[in-house]
Amino acid sequence: MFLILGAILAAYALLAPLTSLDAAQSANVPLLADRLWFRIATIIAMFIVMATAWNIIGGITGYAAFGNVAFFGIGAYTTGMLIAKAKWPFLVALPFAPLVSAGFAALVGLPLLRLRGHYFAVASLGVGVAVGELVQNIDYGGQPLFGGASGLFLPIYAIDNRGLFFFYLMVAAATIAIAVTWWVLRSRFGYGLIAIRENEEAAAVLGVNTTVYKVAAFALSAALTGLAGGIFSQWNVFINQDNTFPIDYNVQMILMALLGGTGTVFGPAVGAVLLQLLIQFLGGSLPISFDIPFVSADARPILAQVILGLLLVGVVIFVPRGVIDFFGGRSRLSLSYLRRSLRETSL
Amino acid sequence: MADFVQLVILGLLAGGVYVAVGVGFGLVWGVLNIVNLAHGALVIIGSYITWQLFTTLHLDPFLTLPVDAVALFVLGYALQRGVINRIIRAPLLFTFLLTFGLNLVAINVLLFIFGSDFRSVTPAYSGQGLEFGSVVIPYVPLISLGVAILLSAALAFILNRTRIGLAINAIAADRDAAQLVGIDLRHAYAVTFGLGAACAGVAGGLIAMSQAITPTAGEPYTLQAFVVVILGGLGRVSATVVGGLAFGLVEVFAQSIPGSGSVFANAIAFGLMVLVLVTRPQGLLGRLR
Repeated sequence: MFLILGAILAAYALLAPLTSLDAAQSANVPLLADRLWFRIATIIAMFIVMATAWNIIGGITGYAAFGNVAFFGIGAYTTGMLIAKAKWPFLVALPFAPLVSAGFAALVGLPLLRLRGHYFAVASLGVGVAVGELVQNIDYGGQPLFGGASGLFLPIYAIDNRGLFFFYLMVAAATIAIAVTWWVLRSRFGYGLIAIRENEEAAAVLGVNTTVYKVAAFALSAALTGLAGGIFSQWNVFINQDNTFPIDYNVQMILMALLGGTGTVFGPAVGAVLLQLLIQFLGGSLPISFDIPFVSADARPILAQVILGLLLVGVVIFVPRGVIDFFGGRSRLSLSYLRRSLRETSL
Repeated sequence: MADFVQLVILGLLAGGVYVAVGVGFGLVWGVLNIVNLAHGALVIIGSYITWQLFTTLHLDPFLTLPVDAVALFVLGYALQRGVINRIIRAPLLFTFLLTFGLNLVAINVLLFIFGSDFRSVTPAYSGQGLEFGSVVIPYVPLISLGVAILLSAALAFILNRTRIGLAINAIAADRDAAQLVGIDLRHAYAVTFGLGAACAGVAGGLIAMSQAITPTAGEPYTLQAFVVVILGGLGRVSATVVGGLAFGLVEVFAQSIPGSGSVFANAIAFGLMVLVLVTRPQGLLGRLR
């Protein structure tokens, strides 16, 4: 039921704007008539890409990567540099974002993926932080190489209906990410990754080349994340350390995957939609909004963060398998479900 | 030569804060197997307690440290007993996310209460120091280093000489066996986390004296605590002390590199950590567990 409803909504969202923005506006179609909604829909699609991509290394392979935002930033800066400094056209520069991200992931993945558990998680977090710092501060001949602290400005991409174009581009990237996950889960490669997640030694004994598999999964995840970054750079026109290497994204993409359901095809996408709508709502960017008692407008972003934190705690404790568990009749949300989740991991 | 001596001294003094930040983090990690991403938030709560007592009651900041320790112990005990114990048997990603969630809540509650202004604690003797020719030893970091060493010694004493400390050690060695011999796991876990939080509180008090604080100022310390523990080796207080001092030295020397060494602080810290992890995973002094 949910799936059918979702499919209809998605089809509507995709097809309605085809009749041009003016038509959508005059027909007073909600959701898509507004520029703001376009922006939010594009951001949601961007997070679908990132959460789905994280799922490949974090959910399917079981390596808790905490620094995937590095690949988003590298993708954004690759495309950004090629357009702003080398004057390449956008569509030629875009493919280099996933390529460079994947190359970087393979390079750092070789030493990092030898680490396990906490060590890998924090080392990858460190890579995320360090890359952002390096990009902002590296000088070459006295000039900041990547635009430095003042960031990098890109020329505006000249095309009619730019908002619509980037929305479709981001949706295409999300589709690719989901399709890749679908393929991975049905391939020999995917079975190898799952074997690594469940028991790495056993997988190695069974003949899975764990190093190659892990690095490939990391690079694949990085490529998809980098693609989102590449699209973002031209869409947003301005990139700097704050908007391409935010540590928050690391946690948001993981929370999305977890909220939806890790290791599944559609779970991270579902989680991305739910969580991003919530974040936008709490941040006060949605047209539908209401006053929260006792909280001034200035304090809203703070409250949003508090709620996000509490949500994180709640999801981890009560719905560890994600909301996708409730689809297709596998489980029902009930008090006994929550109690069982609590007992499963409790001391 | 005098410059070199000065750098070594400054490095060791800077290490004091890292020792204090690292011991609590290492205890929680080693015993509970939790990488506590809320450690930095606990640290900064300690800083704000010190700041509050210093500005309203005009207490000497060093005298506020016991208050930090007690307050944070209570908070840590409650957090572990009420929340973290609920997911202690879940995969590590879950403990990671849970503690990150707690971090987010704590920082934003602080933002709500204190705002994002920078605050600082400046007792009358801050900025002064002992002078030996051209070498200067500032008082505040010197006393801080002493406090950090004392804190580590106290923690080591609790762990090795008291009943609850032995229970904690038993849990670290084998949780199931510890439960079999009648150790109350929920209580012992909560005490462990409480002790870790108390150390964080003291560290926070020291940090309030050495830099301006703001609710987000604790975040780098979570990462640095991790590096310090890796550097020394997991599982012993003494190893963390060495790790902290070594980290202070590395930081000060890295910043003294001509050019812009200071803006790469994180990159240097993590480069060092990855290097240690890949070449000597048990740390400088650690044993493999």
